[in-house]
Amino acid sequence: MNKVPLLKLNNVLAGYGKMNVVNNISIRVNQGEIVTLLGSNGVGKTSTLRTIIAQTDLKKGEIKYKDIDITHFPTYKIAGLGIGYCPEGRAIFGNLTTKENLQAGAYLLKSRQKFKINLDRVYSLFPILKERHSQIAESLSGGEQEMLVIGRSLMNSPSLLLLDEPSLGLAPKLVELIGKTLREINKEGVSILLIEQNAKLALEISNYGYLMRKGSIVLEGTAKELVVDDRVKEIYLGII
Amino acid sequence: MNYLLQQIINSLGFGSIVALLAAGYTMTFGLIGLVNFAHGEVFMVGAFTAYFILTILKLPFWLAILMALVGSIIIGLLVERLAFKPVRGSGMITLFIIGLGVSQILRNSTVMLFDARLKGFTVSGFLKGVYMLGEVIIFKKTLFIFLTVLAICIILVYLIKNTKVGIAMRSISYDTQMAQSLGMNTERVIIITFIISSALAGFAAVSWGYIYGSVHAAMGVHAVVNAFVASVIGGVGNVLGAVVAGYIIAIGGNLFIAFLPPDLVGLRPLFVWIVFFIILIFKPSGLFRANIK
Repeated sequence: MNKVPLLKLNNVLAGYGKMNVVNNISIRVNQGEIVTLLGSNGVGKTSTLRTIIAQTDLKKGEIKYKDIDITHFPTYKIAGLGIGYCPEGRAIFGNLTTKENLQAGAYLLKSRQKFKINLDRVYSLFPILKERHSQIAESLSGGEQEMLVIGRSLMNSPSLLLLDEPSLGLAPKLVELIGKTLREINKEGVSILLIEQNAKLALEISNYGYLMRKGSIVLEGTAKELVVDDRVKEIYLGII
Repeated sequence: MNYLLQQIINSLGFGSIVALLAAGYTMTFGLIGLVNFAHGEVFMVGAFTAYFILTILKLPFWLAILMALVGSIIIGLLVERLAFKPVRGSGMITLFIIGLGVSQILRNSTVMLFDARLKGFTVSGFLKGVYMLGEVIIFKKTLFIFLTVLAICIILVYLIKNTKVGIAMRSISYDTQMAQSLGMNTERVIIITFIISSALAGFAAVSWGYIYGSVHAAMGVHAVVNAFVASVIGGVGNVLGAVVAGYIIAIGGNLFIAFLPPDLVGLRPLFVWIVFFIILIFKPSGLFRANIK
C-alpha cells in the first residue's frame, strides 16, 4: 500500500473555552487507510474528531489535509474539501424525511447526475433507507438512523470519513453490517478515521490505531500490534 | 350564514398580513432561535417607504411595492448585522431582549422623525371598488391581496420543501453544527433567510396600507404579536403552519368579536392570547410539526 498522508495533526492542543481536552496530539491518516482511535470514555476521542472539523477551540498545532493547512478553516469549508463527519448519537435531522436528509448530505454536490449516482450507491449499501425514503427521520429505528447518518456523510463524495462510534447501542447483527459496509466504502477509496468502543470490530477492519488516555496519545501501532498489546486489553476489560 | 361568510371574507385582508409576517417570523425563529420583535418595525419601515412613493411622490403602485420590499430588506439586514450577529449563539433570552430594544429604537426614531399620527395611504384606482357574491361583499383590494399572498405562500412553501436553500434552512434549524459539517455556510443561509423574511414583511406592509388606508409608526406592535403567536401555533420554523395559523388567528379574532355583545368589542386583542395559552397548555409544540429539536 502506498503511504501518501491524507490527514496530519501535528501537536494539536484544543478544547472548549479555557479547558483543554486534546493535549498535543499527533495523528496521521494515510490515503486508503482505516485508522482507529481507541480509549475509554472521556479521554478526548470525540473532541479530537471535532477539532479536525473546527468545532472546538484550537489553541496550538496545525492540521493538514491533502497538504492544505486547514487549521483555521471554518467547518463548512473543511467539509467542502472532502471531509465527511458522522457524529455519535445518530445526529440525523429529525425534521426532514430520509431522502431530504440525504439531500442535505449532498449539499455540496453541483451536478444532479452525481447526486443520482451517490443516492443509488447509498440505497444499495442500505436498502432499508430506500424503503423509508419518505418517512420523517425521527421515526426511524436506532439502527436505521445510524445507517442514515453514514449514508448522508457519503453523499458529498468524501475522501476522508470521520466516524464517531457507529456501532454504539446497535444489535450485534447491525454492528456486523456496519463493519462490512465500512470495509466496502474503504475499498472504494474512502479513508476512514474511526472511533469505536467495540475494539474487536475496530481493530479487525483497521490498518493502524492510536490509544488515547487523558487527552494524549499513549500508544500507536498497526492493528495487528495493538490487538495483542496489554494496555489495549486493559482498557477494554475495564481495568483502568 | 351570509353574516358568517362576510366576517370570514373581511378577515382575509388582515389574515394575509399576519400570514406573511408569521411566515417570515417563523423562519428566523426556527433558524437561530430569534424571537424577533423588531420584525414589526421592519414591516413598519416598508409601509413608510410605500407611503412616500404613493402618497407624497404620487408614483405608481408597483414601484411602491418594489421600494417597500427594498426598504424592509435593507432594515432587516441592518438589524441582523448590527444587532443580532454580534451576539450569535448567546441564547434566546439575549436575542429576545435585543429584539425588543431594536424595536423600541426604530419605532421611536420614526415618531421623532415624522410623528405618531396616521399617514393616509393612496389606493390605486384599479383596486377601488367591490365585487358582490350574492349578498356578500368583497373588496377588490382584499381579493387582490389575498390571491397574491396565496401565490407567494405557495412559492415559499415549495422553495422550503424542495430547494437546496430550503433544505439547508431546515437542517440548520434542527442542528446547526451538523449542518455546517455537511458543508452548509450558515451565515449565508441566515442572510438569505433575513432577506426573504424582510421582503415578506415589506409586501405585508403595502397590504396593510391598502386595507386600512393609512399607516403609522406603531403599526408593527399589534401585528408582530399576532405573527409571534401564529408562528408558535403553526410549529416553530414551519412556514406552512405559520401561514395557516396566521389566517386562523385573523378569522378567529374577527368571529370572536362578531358574536360577542357590541360593548365587549374592546376585548378583541384578548383573542390571540386566549388561543396562545390554550395551545401552550394542550399542544405546546404547535399544531403542525416544528422544525426544531
